Amino acid sequence: MKLRYAFKRTIANKSASAEKEIRPEVPDGMLKKCNACKGAVFVDEVKKNAYICPHCGNYFRVHARRRIEMLADEGTFKEWNPVMPVSNPLSYKGYEEKVKMLQEKTGLDEAIVTGKAEIGGVSVALGVCDSRFLMASMGENVGEKIARAVEKATEERLPIVLFACSGGARMQEGIVSLMQMAKTSAALKRHSDAGLLYISVLTNPTTGGVTASFAMLGDIILAEPNALIGFAGPRVIEQTIRQKLPKGFQRSEFLLEHGFIDQIVERKDMKETLTKILKMHCGSGCVEEKEVLENVEKEPQKLVETIQNEVNDMGFSLGNISVKRSNPTNFTIENSIFNIASTEKNISPKSAWDRVSLARSKERPTGKDYLPWLFDYFTEFHGDRLFGDDPALIGGIAYFAGRPVTVLVQEKGNGTKENIAHNFGMVSPEGYRKSLRLMKQAEKFHRPVICLVDTPGAFCGLEAEERGQGEAIARNLFELSGLKVPILSIVIGEGGSGGALALAVGDEVWMMENAIYSILSPEGFASILWKDSSKAKEAAEVMKLTAADLKNLRIIEQMIPEKEPLTRENMADTMELLKSRIGIFLEDYSTLDLEKLLNKRYNRFRNM
Amino acid sequence: MIRKLLIANRGEIAVRIIRACREMGIEAVAVYSEADKESLHTQLADEAICIGPGPSAGSYLNMESIISAAMISGADAIHPGFGFLSENARFAQICEQCGITFVGPPSQVIQNLGNKQIARNTMMAAGVPVIPGTEEAILDAKTGAEKAAQIGYPVIIKAALGGGGKGMRTAFSPEEFELAFLTAQKESQIAFGDGTMYIEHFVEHPRHIEFQILADSQGNVVHLGERDCSIQRNHQKMIEESPSMAVSEELRKEMGIAAVKAAKAAHYVNAGTIEFLLEKTGKFYFMEMNTRIQVEHPVTEWVTGLDLVKEQLKIASGEPLSFSQKDIHIQGHAIECRINAENPWKNFRPSPGTITDLHLPGGQGIRVDTGIYSGYQIPPYYDSMLAKLIVHGDNRQEAIAKMKSALGEVIIQGVDTNVDYQFEIMNDSDYQKGEFDIGFLESHQIGGVKVNEA
Repeated sequence: MKLRYAFKRTIANKSASAEKEIRPEVPDGMLKKCNACKGAVFVDEVKKNAYICPHCGNYFRVHARRRIEMLADEGTFKEWNPVMPVSNPLSYKGYEEKVKMLQEKTGLDEAIVTGKAEIGGVSVALGVCDSRFLMASMGENVGEKIARAVEKATEERLPIVLFACSGGARMQEGIVSLMQMAKTSAALKRHSDAGLLYISVLTNPTTGGVTASFAMLGDIILAEPNALIGFAGPRVIEQTIRQKLPKGFQRSEFLLEHGFIDQIVERKDMKETLTKILKMHCGSGCVEEKEVLENVEKEPQKLVETIQNEVNDMGFSLGNISVKRSNPTNFTIENSIFNIASTEKNISPKSAWDRVSLARSKERPTGKDYLPWLFDYFTEFHGDRLFGDDPALIGGIAYFAGRPVTVLVQEKGNGTKENIAHNFGMVSPEGYRKSLRLMKQAEKFHRPVICLVDTPGAFCGLEAEERGQGEAIARNLFELSGLKVPILSIVIGEGGSGGALALAVGDEVWMMENAIYSILSPEGFASILWKDSSKAKEAAEVMKLTAADLKNLRIIEQMIPEKEPLTRENMADTMELLKSRIGIFLEDYSTLDLEKLLNKRYNRFRNM
Repeated sequence: MIRKLLIANRGEIAVRIIRACREMGIEAVAVYSEADKESLHTQLADEAICIGPGPSAGSYLNMESIISAAMISGADAIHPGFGFLSENARFAQICEQCGITFVGPPSQVIQNLGNKQIARNTMMAAGVPVIPGTEEAILDAKTGAEKAAQIGYPVIIKAALGGGGKGMRTAFSPEEFELAFLTAQKESQIAFGDGTMYIEHFVEHPRHIEFQILADSQGNVVHLGERDCSIQRNHQKMIEESPSMAVSEELRKEMGIAAVKAAKAAHYVNAGTIEFLLEKTGKFYFMEMNTRIQVEHPVTEWVTGLDLVKEQLKIASGEPLSFSQKDIHIQGHAIECRINAENPWKNFRPSPGTITDLHLPGGQGIRVDTGIYSGYQIPPYYDSMLAKLIVHGDNRQEAIAKMKSALGEVIIQGVDTNVDYQFEIMNDSDYQKGEFDIGFLESHQIGGVKVNEA
């Protein structure tokens, strides 16, 4: 019922005197319109909320000084090159006046602020773009400030963090602006060659010549959610190809999916994430490293106990296990008897096919189930920087007993939904390329690499071939053989053929007791040799694919016993054991000199 | 005088305020959510502006939308009603900053009274009785017993970190104290790992008695007598009446003086309510002050003959009160029953839906404040109150008789209501004798309905 038309109104003369009255007004600067949800928002609430719309979660741009306040430890920021003479290489009309006007309006000298600061106690060189200044476009002074900051960081051996937000090169300075792309990139190359860390953080928008230079060159590239990131702007692309672009095109999430950024970080978590990454890269002398050394002091006796218990559990006695220490932080365990004993005596009677079934069991823990047991503060890095991000391969950095390591995991997922999301652990070329990228990164920062291998095989499909599956695997074998840091590979489930080997060119390769590792699946083997895939069981027996068999064939160095077949519920003891063994590996191999390490790895495969 | 008023509320209170505007020649601007497009307040107002989606967070609690609506409509004042933004100090402050008259006290007053500790300190300093208790932490039973004796039995012992009844014990006499204290402390240590305790006087079987006050911006304060709101479930009031059977002429005077003192101490302006707990002994204690018009204001209107919403608008316009305390006389007896869309026999389950048929009572001394009409769809987003039925008689007995007659006439079809449950309460002999406290619904099982202690 529409009552509104039936009700009689009692106001005869609507707002007749309104003009004369004082009308309420919202004071200037109290309310603003959110450009995403179009709703009105209180400015002070937005400020309190890290410049995020309280209604729709849209990220507003943050001024450089405010951003520095949000990131740097209080009072630690010291600005570099605060004043530079205005440059106008093209003598472009009105440009100098425009710059001076902006300088007055923003209180900034140029579109970027650079300097030295501490983030979470770690000293860094920091640069932050400010979009109020000609859309933070890069002219000579912006390029110069970045180059100088990078050079200074190289000289002082500091990591550098750059917050990009820019429309690209500055048109008013023409070709000189273009040259800034080369200049900043060159400075970063020297910084990188000095073995130093560069973290690039992309904020809305990062486009044009900035994307095509310093923004995309980070060892680690982070981005704020939903930031526009691209080379050519979406409008230009639409006009050129005369097509409507899909929703979410060139946004952070799109770039993550396409392999160009490591992580999307929410603004409220940015400082914490940066701190975590910086600390993992701060080399000897930072707090975490000291803690590691202290822990290591306590380790040897614990290790002996663990191993002795393990041996006792096997039901036979063993002579003395002795811990030999070559220096205070290095020790090796004379455990040759133990190794032979463990392979020959401690095998529960199971057929090879039993073990194939166990390796493929739904209850068996997958790679990501291992992570919390073995590592602390795992931080995932995405993407191959070429084409995509492969969810079948999870990579990142973490602490192992307080020491930074690079971790690579072939992940099958738990349950059908996750299986599909992770493509059943079948790695695509972009997955192998991501793994190689992260291993190269490990090499740069002198981190050992630990790989957990669990794949039925490399992904077999049209797209995989189009993108060069064979090349990707081959490239890994080639590069890993010469990677200048220790590599440990552990087959935790299925070690399926070349897809597994691409992560198993290690200094040592270990297997869990119920893992398998083979040239091909037993089904495939039976099919090729006997033209009958149903003979998989028989094939499994002749293929020598169990850990014990491979230990005897000297394909692997160690078999990690499973008291009972591993499930997500009963992992604790086995993980404790695995952790102690990895500890020994890292201590042994980290002290080897590089030549020995590489020769040993070369010969390992040379002799097979 | 206010020229154009925006009502930042919905339902019957919005309708109530619009009616006052219509009588006073003030233009009324309704705001409404997408779910309230067909609501009565939206249709009755001179103008209506949609401020967001159904859920209150995006509409009736969305300050930006409401302020923008005020600007667009050119309203010079906002009445917040009750609930929603009515006791939001920040909203009142924003109105002040924009030069909009907020119909209520100044934002600073809302802020102070909303802070339990500040409010308690203000009242103590003004000599308004508060529930006696320890200011500092008590760690051992001996000190505790001394403090308990000073405070006066019965006492309640509470864990500093307590919650959910854990670490809480009452002691009715000094003999019981030590055991109660030690048990509560032990419980707290186990549950919260902390043995810090506080002791306060335990107000046994209290009645909820509140005093309505009006204060103008010139500093004049009068009280309009009390309301007895003891019939409640889970701290939700169900029936309110004025005057209270438990308040004698003398006590009314005493409590009224305390209420006026409280309002003055808080520098209060506009209509407000001071809530007290009244003990059987006749002692009363300040609980809190509500800085808004209340649901149950009609019972006071009826026994005083005043229109509280009109008084609010006059005060907000800066006018002084046109009467003083000696002009206020309590006449007759008024009772209000809240009619809710809920089923008492199904654990008071809310019952949204469409009102398919409606008959509401009328006649001498009968008033219905409501926002429903035949064919109205009750949106699921808001509280379940459909209507307030208020009656006025020469005395309490007559008022109860009127209420029973009126309740018996109410027909609301299409949804479940608590009308029958209210009818049963009116029939209860303890209720009729006026013998009840805030535990009434729990102890009486009206109509066989068990109400659990909150």
